[in-house]
Amino acid sequence: MVIKVDEGNLKQGLLGLVVALAEIIKEALERQALRRIESGRLTAEEEVRLNEALADLDEALNHIKKENDIQDVVDSVIDGLSEVANVFLNPERWEKELGEA
Amino acid sequence: MGKGAGRSMKETKLIGETELAEGRYLYCVVNSAAKLSLGNIGIAKAEVYTVPHEDVAAVVHACQSQPYQSKDTNKVMEWVLSHNDVVDGATEHFGTVIPFSFDTIVKGGDTTIKDLLRRGYEKFEHELERLNQRAEYVVQIFSDQNKLVERILAENQALKELKEKTSKMPERAGYLFRRKLELKLNDACNVTRAKLADEFASQIKEHAEEMEIERKVAHLPENYKDKKLIAAFSCLVHEDNVKGLGQALGKISQEGYAVRFTGPWAPFSFVKLGEI
Repeated sequence: MVIKVDEGNLKQGLLGLVVALAEIIKEALERQALRRIESGRLTAEEEVRLNEALADLDEALNHIKKENDIQDVVDSVIDGLSEVANVFLNPERWEKELGEA
Repeated sequence: MGKGAGRSMKETKLIGETELAEGRYLYCVVNSAAKLSLGNIGIAKAEVYTVPHEDVAAVVHACQSQPYQSKDTNKVMEWVLSHNDVVDGATEHFGTVIPFSFDTIVKGGDTTIKDLLRRGYEKFEHELERLNQRAEYVVQIFSDQNKLVERILAENQALKELKEKTSKMPERAGYLFRRKLELKLNDACNVTRAKLADEFASQIKEHAEEMEIERKVAHLPENYKDKKLIAAFSCLVHEDNVKGLGQALGKISQEGYAVRFTGPWAPFSFVKLGEI
C-alpha cells in the first residue's frame, strides 16, 4: 500500500512533536534547576548561568514555534501527553504520591 | 432458536465484498406500527421510510451494502448532517427514538430489517420505554484563564508573594522564578479546575438521570476558543427536568463561567442495546 504524505503536514507534525518533546524536557530541567537554586548550594554565578541558559532555550523554542506556525500542534501534543508527562517529569508529585502510599 | 436468532448485528452488517448486495441504511428505531414514507430527506436525497414490526419501526433508506466513504471531507460532513437531520426529524415525528451512529448498514432488504426488529423486539421496546420523554443535552463549562488565575492568587498568599517578587526581577536573571510562578499557577489551575468540575457535576447530576463526562470537546465556536474548558458532560434529561437544569446552569453562569448548553438531541450516548 502506498502511503501518501502531504509534505507540509508532515513537516508541521514532525517539528511539532520534536518541539513538544523539547518543551517537556525543558520543563523537567526547569523544575530541577529550581530545586538546586532553592537548596542554596549554587553560587550566584551558577544561578545566573542556569537562568540565562534556560531563558535562551525558551526563547529559541518560542522562535521556532512562531516561525513555523506550530503552536497549536505543540499544544495538542503536550495536552495528549500531559498526564504522562506530569507524572513522569514532576518529582514533587512523586514525593507526594510516595508520601500518600 | 428460530432462524437468525442469536446472530449479532456485526454479522448482519456488510464487510466490503466484490459483488454489491442489497442493503438498508439504518437511522433509528422508533415507536410506530405504520409503514410510512418520510420523503427524500436521507443521505444523498435517498427516500427514507419506516419498516414496522408490531409497534416498533426502523427508519431506513435502501442502499447498496457498502459503507458511505469519501476522501472529500465536505461530502462526508454533508452525509453526517443528513443522518442527524433524519434522526432529528424522526424525533419530532415519532417522539423518542433509538438513534444509530452514522454508516450503520444492514446487509439485506426490508425482510432482514423486520427480522432484526423481531429478534431485538424486547430490547428495543425496553429502551424506547426507558428513554421515553427524555433527551440528551450537552453541557460545557468554560472559564476565562485570567479570572481563574486571579481567583487562585487571591486565595494563595505564597503565590501572591512570589508574583510580587518576580515582577521586580530583571528579565533573564529572573527567568526561573517567573517559570516557577507559571508552573505553580498551572498546577493550581489544574487543581481548581478539577475541584470545580466535581462541584458542577454534582449540581448537574441532580437534574439528569444519567451523565457521561466528556474528555474532549470537538468543534468549538470561535468565541470559546480563548477560554479553558473546566468540564463537559452529556446528560440524559427527562423533559420535566430540563427547566431545572437550565436554572442550575444559569446560576453557574452568574458566577462568571461561560456555559454552553445544547440540545435536545437524540440520546446517542445513552442507548444500551448490546448484541442483537
